[in-house]
Amino acid sequence: MIGWVLRRTAAAVALVVLGTIVLVVLVHLLPGDPLTAIIGDRAIDPAARDALAARWGIGRPLPTVVADFLRNALHGDLGTSLAEQRPVATILRERLGPTILLGGTTLLVNFTVGLFLGTWSALHPESRRARAIGAISLATYTIPAFVIGLGLVWLGAIALPWFPAGGASDPLLDPEAGLVAVLLDRAHHLALPLLTMVLATIAVPIRQQRSAALETAHAAWVVAARARGVAPRRVAWQHVWRPALSPVITLLGLWLPMLVSGAVFVEAVFAWPGIGSLLATATAQRDIPLVIGTGVVVILLVQVGSLLADILQRLLDPVQRTA
Amino acid sequence: MIRRPILPALLLLTGSLVAQTPRGTLVMAVRQEPVAPVPYIGPSTAGNADVADQLFLRLATLGSGARTTGDDALVPELAQRWIRRDARTVDFLLDPRARWHDGVPVSAADVTFAWDLIRTPVLGVDQAPYELIDSVLALDARTVRVRFRRPSAEQVYTAGFLLQPLPRHLIGTLPADSLGSSAFARGPVGNGPFRFVRRVPGSSVELRAVPDFFLGTPGLRRLVFRLIGSTDAQVNALLAGETDVMAEVPVTALDRVAARRDLRMVLTPGSFITYVLFNAKAPGNPDTEHPILAEQRVRRALALALDRSAIAERAFGPGTQTPTAVRSQAWYWVGGGQASGAADTAAARRLLAEAGWVDRDGDGIRDRDGTPLELGIIYPVQSSVFAGIAVQLEQAWRRVGVRARLEAIDGAVWIQRRRVGQFDVDIAGAYQDPSPSSLAQSWSCTSAAQPGSSNVGHWCDPEFDRLRTTATTGPDPVAGFRAMFARMANWQPAVVAGAPPGRVAVHTRYENVVLRPSKPWTALWQWRVRPSAMLPRDR
Repeated sequence: MIGWVLRRTAAAVALVVLGTIVLVVLVHLLPGDPLTAIIGDRAIDPAARDALAARWGIGRPLPTVVADFLRNALHGDLGTSLAEQRPVATILRERLGPTILLGGTTLLVNFTVGLFLGTWSALHPESRRARAIGAISLATYTIPAFVIGLGLVWLGAIALPWFPAGGASDPLLDPEAGLVAVLLDRAHHLALPLLTMVLATIAVPIRQQRSAALETAHAAWVVAARARGVAPRRVAWQHVWRPALSPVITLLGLWLPMLVSGAVFVEAVFAWPGIGSLLATATAQRDIPLVIGTGVVVILLVQVGSLLADILQRLLDPVQRTA
Repeated sequence: MIRRPILPALLLLTGSLVAQTPRGTLVMAVRQEPVAPVPYIGPSTAGNADVADQLFLRLATLGSGARTTGDDALVPELAQRWIRRDARTVDFLLDPRARWHDGVPVSAADVTFAWDLIRTPVLGVDQAPYELIDSVLALDARTVRVRFRRPSAEQVYTAGFLLQPLPRHLIGTLPADSLGSSAFARGPVGNGPFRFVRRVPGSSVELRAVPDFFLGTPGLRRLVFRLIGSTDAQVNALLAGETDVMAEVPVTALDRVAARRDLRMVLTPGSFITYVLFNAKAPGNPDTEHPILAEQRVRRALALALDRSAIAERAFGPGTQTPTAVRSQAWYWVGGGQASGAADTAAARRLLAEAGWVDRDGDGIRDRDGTPLELGIIYPVQSSVFAGIAVQLEQAWRRVGVRARLEAIDGAVWIQRRRVGQFDVDIAGAYQDPSPSSLAQSWSCTSAAQPGSSNVGHWCDPEFDRLRTTATTGPDPVAGFRAMFARMANWQPAVVAGAPPGRVAVHTRYENVVLRPSKPWTALWQWRVRPSAMLPRDR
């Protein structure tokens, strides 16, 4: 098992390096002036333009750019944002907290409530509640997230002003406020974006888990367990639910990058200071170092998510574990 | 007899005590994060500029009339007064009360330092607005002598409004290319009515009033700039009561804002203008005339085919003007012609026929020498307003036999294509500088020949240039500017699609609301919150 994990990790590292090289090359091939992030559509005379290009290392040969980036990245230096003139790593660190908060809680709700509802629906396929769960989750899944978000803002922040319309925290909160006040403030601001994200995505784990559980519900070991007189609750959660987790774990691995890039529209609606909106803005502005830095984080998350999913599956599946 | 004088005296005393204690908060949204709100050295974004305007003063600022010509047009800020020495020399005397927020007096060396920075290529400051200035010298600690290249009615405006001193004692030793990423840029020390307190990355910037500000005690205690990138989210924050003001309220939100009792709309002469720019040269080839648009009759026909009033109102709402020249409402002090608005398709067809463009093959599109009358219109895909205008152009021009090809392109690519002149027709928008002279940056023969200038359509009319020069050197600048506008209207290098008013939604609890043309927030320190209407965040 340890040998397999090491081999799988080495492959993931190689993929991260390869993905980074491809990313750097592709971003540099994007059409548009790479100095847009600094000068926008302002006029600039050629001397100033040349000075800026030299200052920011624009126009160097691509192999040099790739080699320099990889070398610097090894030391934690992802370059300097053209638009903000600050280290990309610093900007990403600042945005990581709100990103993980929104993406992490979304995953947490989806993969607890979603899995429970999916399994429950599979165990009671003909019940009205199961049909309602399927219909409602599918309905919210078909509505674009930003539409759900705008609706919730209108309802929960304007018509009934119970929640903030945007932001991850109250800018007027006393900087010396205690931990409880800060946590309550964060939770207050998280409510609507989280609800939006969950409504827009929870159908996937529900349906995935439901179909996996339905398939498992008729497996031979489940029939045998029932025949042995095992309690229905134990059959449900030990014999049906656990084997049905495998495809959902794969899904979880694939969803990890959503922490970063999956909430662009929701972040825009709620002015949520996450990495998704940062990436969208950086791309529009052609802030190449920031686009690459954010892209590398996405690549890392994809690989980490995939690696963790593989390891989890191996741990859960005795056949794979002993192979 | 005794009671009468006591009551007013008490009221005066109370009033002065209230005025000396800044109270109240104002929360405003900004589209871009103010990461380095310092003139010249920070990225040139509206977010940085909005915050920098509260931290850093100018030598002088525009008066309520927004006029830029004449030595008496501006109002003192850091400069207490100015003295004309000769036709090319003006001395600015700094106010001895002016201090940086660290207590050091603002000196003439800070002005010359800013001038040196402006001319440092690596900072990428556009040189065109400063073209009139020849040199800036410190005569002594308080006196700055500015020499100009030539006589002009806008000398005081150019030096007084465009020069913003920076603290040499704090950043004078730093290399210019590291200023943007310096600690000073992250936490600036200014000289304005508010001082920098903190920035919460990705969220907000907070400023606090400087109680002993030398021009008067600010009426507000605290300003908070919240980063809200999307217009919809900005409207929602305003309606939810999380922000107190919003500039450029979109036309789609006007009704919702008007329906609110706690908000009122303040109109100012807006400095934004949207126009349909014709390319004088063949796309991507500045040495060759444009095969269609170089001809004035065609440009006039294209303009006449448009119902400009309808386009303007649909894009920007009521109160939007359609001037005949490319001039925003901020230049209202000059006056000048407005387009009649309605389309005149008969006249447009006649002009096109006179120019030889006739539908010979009966396909509904005019042609000449076998070439169809077809034009590509570029605009940034991110702008729904520009997209709406493009569709209206396409429909209007089709009615007079012109085929328009709509090219919605990514914003960065759009900027690049404009820069190299790779377009027939471009839908553009601009915030115009306070002076009409700034038209030279985009429409003069000098800028047409200058690589990297704003004159992306390569327009050059020596008569227009002559009128612009004589406008600021002649006895009547206003008449001169009007003549310049009239020439532009006749020349028709572009059609104005809308010059909207500046619409600012303001919470009703504020009083003494002063919004200056071109730089609306520079008088924010004079705003106050009515004591009876204070919210918890004001206390």
